[in-house]
Amino acid sequence: STPEGAGSGMKALEEMLDKKAAAGDGGEEKAESEAGGDAGGDKGEAGAEKAGKPKLTKAERREIQEKQRAAKAAAKGEAPPAPAAKKAAADQPASGGSEKAKEKGEDKAKDSKGSAGLKLQYDDPKAMAKAKRNQTVHRTEVQKKVPWFAHLPQYEREASLSSQLSERAENDIHPEVLKLGLKLADWLIVGGNNRTVAMLQAFSKVVMDYAPPKDHETGADMSRHLDTRLKPMISYLVACRPLSIGMGNAIRWLKGKIAHLPPNQSIQEAKDYICDQIEAYITEKVVFADRIISKHGASKINTGDVILVYARSSSVEATILRAHRDGTKFRVIVVDSRPKLEGKKLLDKLSAAGVSCTYIMINALSYVMKEVSKVLLGASALLSNGHVISRVGTAAVAMMAKQFNIPVLICCETYKFSEKVMLDSICTNELGDPDELLSPALENWRDVKDMKLLNLCYDLTPAESITLVITELGHLPPTSVPVVIREYRKEVTL
Amino acid sequence: HACSPPFLLFRSFSHLSASCTKLSTMSGAPQESKVVRDFKKVLGENERGAVAVAAIHALTTMIKESGASTIMELEILLKAAQEQLQEMNFEGQRSKAIQLTAACELFARHVTRTALDIGNFDACKKRLIDRGERFAAQADVSRAVIADNMLPFIRDGTVMLVHGYSNVVIIALTKAASAGIRFKVILTEGCPERDGFKVCEELQKAGIPTELVVDTALGYVMQEVDMVLTGAAGVCESGGIINKLGTYQMSVIAKEAKKPFYVAAESYKFCRLYPLSPTDLPDAEKEGPPVMQNGVKVRTPPSDFTPPANITLLLTDIGVLTPSAVSDELIKLYY
Repeated sequence: STPEGAGSGMKALEEMLDKKAAAGDGGEEKAESEAGGDAGGDKGEAGAEKAGKPKLTKAERREIQEKQRAAKAAAKGEAPPAPAAKKAAADQPASGGSEKAKEKGEDKAKDSKGSAGLKLQYDDPKAMAKAKRNQTVHRTEVQKKVPWFAHLPQYEREASLSSQLSERAENDIHPEVLKLGLKLADWLIVGGNNRTVAMLQAFSKVVMDYAPPKDHETGADMSRHLDTRLKPMISYLVACRPLSIGMGNAIRWLKGKIAHLPPNQSIQEAKDYICDQIEAYITEKVVFADRIISKHGASKINTGDVILVYARSSSVEATILRAHRDGTKFRVIVVDSRPKLEGKKLLDKLSAAGVSCTYIMINALSYVMKEVSKVLLGASALLSNGHVISRVGTAAVAMMAKQFNIPVLICCETYKFSEKVMLDSICTNELGDPDELLSPALENWRDVKDMKLLNLCYDLTPAESITLVITELGHLPPTSVPVVIREYRKEVTL
Repeated sequence: HACSPPFLLFRSFSHLSASCTKLSTMSGAPQESKVVRDFKKVLGENERGAVAVAAIHALTTMIKESGASTIMELEILLKAAQEQLQEMNFEGQRSKAIQLTAACELFARHVTRTALDIGNFDACKKRLIDRGERFAAQADVSRAVIADNMLPFIRDGTVMLVHGYSNVVIIALTKAASAGIRFKVILTEGCPERDGFKVCEELQKAGIPTELVVDTALGYVMQEVDMVLTGAAGVCESGGIINKLGTYQMSVIAKEAKKPFYVAAESYKFCRLYPLSPTDLPDAEKEGPPVMQNGVKVRTPPSDFTPPANITLLLTDIGVLTPSAVSDELIKLYY
């Protein structure tokens, strides 16, 4: 259906919903039976629960869908609305948030993260609908969505994420990935490098434990099949917590490696090869990269410097410890912020090593900035236009430093470089649990009309605020990100 | 009898040791090695010769004459030669140190790269000598290329502000004048070296009308000029330049007055440095201890760093580049 069709489809949906509200039970049944058929086009079990229909094959479900669509088009005389929107409406009657969202028909189709979540366009209703259909785990939307971020997934904290998985037909999530997903969802594994390494190690186990179907003999067969095996696992991880850009790059690399296995290998050889490659990737791109970054970074720290750091970055930590080990006399100011308070752990590590530290909350930033000689920050990703995605608050620190003409140094491994370009922190971001922001005064925020809590995870630092990027390739200006991607593209894809 | 450690490996190649080892006699005067002698010879031959060209020439000669049979040996020899070149004193050395380091590192990088491309040592050595000689030839041409690149920027009636004694700038302006373009040059005096006078002399020979102003008059004359032009001792990875003291403040005033700030530099001046502030300079360019004059402590820093944000364009022999393109070129070169 064309975009105009979709637009008028939305209008048709709204009309239908109005009619349904007016008609009461009669309308309810009609919507359900239609939705049941459509839902059958999605996860069989969800539709089966609702309308008590038997499970159908994909082809049959598609047929029913088409028939209903055609019938509707004939009845209404306009293009049919997006089936996923109605399916979602029928699926979650309990969730109050979806009630509100039903009224804003446009939002509905955009409401979810799906399959790989790697290149998802949040404002494309068809892509979102497809992603929603392919989701492994369905999470409940929050009751009170922040309108500005309505295009991003906002989920309630689940009592048990994995309970849905037991109802699935195939047992297709490896226990390592299951564990990893739960840890990620609860923020037990934090930090770009930690998450990427944990994910790759989990996938390494998946590959090792991969049991090929009977007729698959060679590595080539495995490379085709392994991809389909990984898909639901990746989808599960995304549903637990959205992937960072570095993780996305790692997955793309892994898929490339699997697709381009050396020829004429047995299954076991191919498995060993992939696991060795993963091991090498982790060692080169994360472990050694951090070592080289700390060396380059330490060369920029001089005697008498006052270094400002924010939250907690593994590469910044490595740099400061290295400079301290080299014997340079300097002191550190650790800036921290609610609700994560990650700076505390960094403070512990640095003080234990003997670095002289000061600890402030971010609202005291302008007070200390005049003493600072350099600012050292970490990054979650570096974009093609030189902008930096990092923990929320980093942009404020960098821009304040710029105001005081203090050089801002970003420590970032090259696997986090991305071809994407972002101009603000709103289009793509991650929203955390709003309850983390609670204080005694805000206990009953859900009951207060029009009050919403926003817990952002990342923000965007403009390239103009950044003086230098330290990578394992050396010192680079922020404008050199696309150059590095271009020069090293061959390495990454093959 | 300072025997540099790398040469313990060369006991069997005594003829190499003799040419490369620097022996300090009891009197303290170091004996010059062949590399240094070659370098000085080339520098002396060409009155406006570039230090980098002389260095590459000396290093190429060293490779040609060496009896090394492996790449590893060559690389060790090169490293030692680089150290000797950097330690020696020659006229105008202060501002050329970066260029020298950059040229040596560039050559070392070429060696490694060629070694990776070509397996056979003899073929590799031949290619290196060939490249080295071509580089020397090209480096002479590079200044002519820059002069050509600069022509479109100078029009009839242009008034330009020039700071520091740069061979590239002088050659380029002379070429522009001989091409028939009528323009005027305002020069800064350039204390304490006062090399503005020398530049004045050169330009007047080419028939270019020149005026000299004192260094403190930069803000005063900035309104009159159409563009600012300067050379560079070194071009850094960030796109900023290290140049004679006074370049940074000139760039700040030019930015404030919205005048374009152009830098003319050859590509062998590109180096892997990344200063974070005007004072974050390599040791050779750092400020020395203050001198006493008439009972007063006088500080005379030799150089400063101009950040890339203040530079409009760099006119080089590989084209007219924006500051961010410098890192692009360096990455392509070094990786």
